[in-house]
Amino acid sequence: MEDFSAVRGRSPAPLAWKGALIMSLNGKDELIMNTTDVLIIMGDGDSMREDCRRALEKGGYRVDVAGDGRKGLDLIGTAHPRVAVIDLEIPGTTGTEALAEISRIDPTIVPIAVTGSGSVDSAVESMKLGAFDYMTKPFDPLRLLESVRRAAALSEKRKQSERPVSAHGGTAGDGPVADRQTIALRGLEILGQYYSLGLDKRDFLAELTSLETEAKLHAETLGQIGEKEKFLRDMLAQLNLVDEIIAKYDYDKSTVLQIMLEVQARLNWLPGHVLRWISRRLKVSLSHLYTIANFYEALSLEPVGTYRIEVCTGTACHVRGASGLNTSVSALLGLQPGQTDADMTFTLKNVHCLGCCALAPVMKINDQYYSNPSTRDLEKIFESLRREKKNYVAVENA
Amino acid sequence: MSRLKTPDDLFALRNKLDSERKVDRTCVTICSGTGCLATRSQDVVAEFERQIAEKGLGDKVELRRTGCWGLCERGPIVVILPERICYLGTKAKDVPEIVSETLMEGRYVERLLYKDTGTGERIARLDDIPFYKHQQRLLLEANTQIDPKRIEDYIAIGGYSALAKALFRMKPDGVIKEIEDSGLRGRGGGGFPTGWKWKSSRDCADDPKYVIVNADEGDPGAYMDRSVLEGNPHSVLEGLIIGAYAIGAKEGFIYVRQEYPLAVENTELAIRKAREYGLIGENILGSGFSFTITIKRGAGAFVSGESSALMSVVEGKVGEPRPKYVHTAHKGLWDKPTVLNNVETWANVPLIVNNGAEWFNKIGTAKSTGTKIFSLVGKIINTGLVEVPMGIPMRRIVFDIGSGVPNGKKFKAVQTGGPSGGVLPESMIDTPVDFDRLLEAGSMMGSGGMIIMDEDTCMVDTARYYTDFLGHESCGKCVPCREGLRQMLVILDNITSGKGKEGDIELLEELADVMRVASLCALGQTAANPVLSTIAHFRDEYEAHIRDKRCPALVCRELIAFVIDPDKCIACGLCAKSCPVGAISKVEGEKTVYRIEQEKCIKCGNCLVVCPPKARAISKVASMDLAAGAKKTAAGKKGGKKK
Repeated sequence: MEDFSAVRGRSPAPLAWKGALIMSLNGKDELIMNTTDVLIIMGDGDSMREDCRRALEKGGYRVDVAGDGRKGLDLIGTAHPRVAVIDLEIPGTTGTEALAEISRIDPTIVPIAVTGSGSVDSAVESMKLGAFDYMTKPFDPLRLLESVRRAAALSEKRKQSERPVSAHGGTAGDGPVADRQTIALRGLEILGQYYSLGLDKRDFLAELTSLETEAKLHAETLGQIGEKEKFLRDMLAQLNLVDEIIAKYDYDKSTVLQIMLEVQARLNWLPGHVLRWISRRLKVSLSHLYTIANFYEALSLEPVGTYRIEVCTGTACHVRGASGLNTSVSALLGLQPGQTDADMTFTLKNVHCLGCCALAPVMKINDQYYSNPSTRDLEKIFESLRREKKNYVAVENA
Repeated sequence: MSRLKTPDDLFALRNKLDSERKVDRTCVTICSGTGCLATRSQDVVAEFERQIAEKGLGDKVELRRTGCWGLCERGPIVVILPERICYLGTKAKDVPEIVSETLMEGRYVERLLYKDTGTGERIARLDDIPFYKHQQRLLLEANTQIDPKRIEDYIAIGGYSALAKALFRMKPDGVIKEIEDSGLRGRGGGGFPTGWKWKSSRDCADDPKYVIVNADEGDPGAYMDRSVLEGNPHSVLEGLIIGAYAIGAKEGFIYVRQEYPLAVENTELAIRKAREYGLIGENILGSGFSFTITIKRGAGAFVSGESSALMSVVEGKVGEPRPKYVHTAHKGLWDKPTVLNNVETWANVPLIVNNGAEWFNKIGTAKSTGTKIFSLVGKIINTGLVEVPMGIPMRRIVFDIGSGVPNGKKFKAVQTGGPSGGVLPESMIDTPVDFDRLLEAGSMMGSGGMIIMDEDTCMVDTARYYTDFLGHESCGKCVPCREGLRQMLVILDNITSGKGKEGDIELLEELADVMRVASLCALGQTAANPVLSTIAHFRDEYEAHIRDKRCPALVCRELIAFVIDPDKCIACGLCAKSCPVGAISKVEGEKTVYRIEQEKCIKCGNCLVVCPPKARAISKVASMDLAAGAKKTAAGKKGGKKK
């Protein structure tokens, strides 16, 4: 079994093999010597190559570069890198050929595909040929570094797992299952990235369905895929919801605030991909949406807890001791205004006037108002809400 | 429900509905405004429904959920018509008694009646309660007669008859003239003559024209627009349609802040119902005049209530003000002529059209006509919404209607006009409350917030509070407002934390002057008012903070401490339980007492509140005195040892 924790984004500890010659077995039980960690196969004139090299070297990797496909494949045979970064549009060979060739030479090498003209088709194809990640130029070299970290960890795992499997002859299904897991998982990851760039929803759905079939085959062993899939499904549900709301407002640009308010009310916050979606749908610039989201108190760019506690700091409340109430709530929950607790239960906010001045000082939790609660009251309220959430989560899980 | 095609249809419907409302039948009205809902009036309604069904009183008793009655602090409010018996603070468990005693036997439930603070006497009838006795409720009275969710209730009490009158018996110019003659001035803050605004938009050749209701009541401490919109949304709609007819607009918008979900809900419903009856939409009542209304929700930004900023929001932009070289009446929404008035102003329109300008003119003063709703809050016994004729002396509002300051404390000042306004000290309490006199007194009418402050309120802290508020709400577009507020806050923070220096007051005044002259919109131009007005009337408090490092009202946290008097402490432990940070601990000794660890104390004041009245062991002191006292005791103890 492969360990997917690295793939899922928990970056492994910084690599310790900097500068040392490393002897190890390749996928074919031959002793090899790694003289480089990452090989970048990109055109000589490509300005991004140097940026990538610098970023990876800063990250502690030994980096080699090759200017065309043939040279690249030769170097792979001699230097045995762990990760290969391949431009799909390199001279000398086609990127897809190179990808196929790499896994033939040494299946433990993890390739990452980059391209100047990204499309869903090429992403899916690269993924099928074993690409671990897929990036569209120009990209942030730091993102590449992050991806290389995870790819290197995967390569290491492959080296450790390949040998026992082949030594014992392996169980017939293991290899293919692991491969399909990887494919499905990588595919979902790539789709996730594509999606966040604003993939057309129909394409997204079609891809999801095929991956879903793949994932279902291994439903029991693929906890991680299940998680990833759920994540994507949630995203999709969010998109559908946003589409519904936008349709309700008749695709009218001037209602963008109303749309954002409604999304905020339903999702409790405005995730980046939702804003990108709104931006594409309404043909409004993303920066405009971020300006609006930052300007208004009611919109949140961060997830908000299940219970949104608003302590009113209007004048009437201030005069009648709102700051004392605020201090107590803050102290009891260990939160400053604007913060959310670790398990996403409570978010504390200060608001300017809830318009219940006669009940001052006032606190509002979701839709319920509380007039001048004592510390004992607060303790009881928070306790019962914590219990309520626990029960709710338990029911949901069951 | 059928569409009303002519004014006669409307009048026929009204007569039918009115006759169905048996005036002599007992009607239990339960306030369902936000204030009373917060104290769970919905439970009271449910319990009444159950009890009435159980006792078989369905034919004799009608149940009605109404809008806000005003005395929100004592909610939920139940008023039984036609006698107008008023029960305050009614809980669901009180309902069986009300049903069996009052509804069936005609007796009062004494403990739920209003108790006069002076005489201790119980008052049964709503109109005898001092809070209501001294008001003149032209707008708010309707709140109590109708269920805001039923357009039929509004029509039954004569609703939309002003619209019929305007459409069929008056020309648009005639309507404008009536409004001009009435002297109606904008209730949102500035007091701009409404008729003039309408006329100048009508006279503008550009087309189309728009009308807007400003319900972005961002003013902290004010909530009258909320109550009108929640309790009687149709009165605002009717005013808006009449206004649209007068200036020739086909489209209207209502901008409501999102903190008011019930107002949005009730207004949305009202628009839908009015459309079904044909009172909004194509060819209203067969007059040929067509008009649509759209609701836009705000998202929590005070500055968006400024007219040009509000129009930006309606257009889908960020709600920042723009320079108004050309008035919005000429170039407003999408650069077209736009009339923007606030909720209360629009709600006054049907009254004026129905009763005539002359009638309206007689109420209030010569230059400020009609009534004004105030939200009377803060340190006052009867907290809530009050509607009074313009020109009434402040003293009557505070002491006759509000019954004065609670807990035997001394009245210090009243703050009006919200963050753009100022304070009136006790010496100016006889000032008549109208637009011009308040301005002369260094404050302003504003939208109607009236915050009462007693001797326990620190005026420097109040000024700091408003400056902080405005600093948050400033959109940041122009430098004098953005930076001016930031610097003012730094100075005020210093003063309230005991780090003030000589010259700070003068520096504040200088900053204020620049902000007033150079800011882009009214927010910045008036932002220094709270500071200037507190300096003008309470300079001594500023000086006490700066020179003596002492907060006379014992409010500013850095300058105070809480202490337990060991002689008075009865060791009940309530304070320790109420302390959120565990700063209070038991000290065993000859006499077990509790003690506050000053290093841990966050000065929330909870212990002071819970300390039983029979003990009163906890008190607030100036930190200066505490330090001095500690030295003294330490010296005393040393002396003891020597003996």
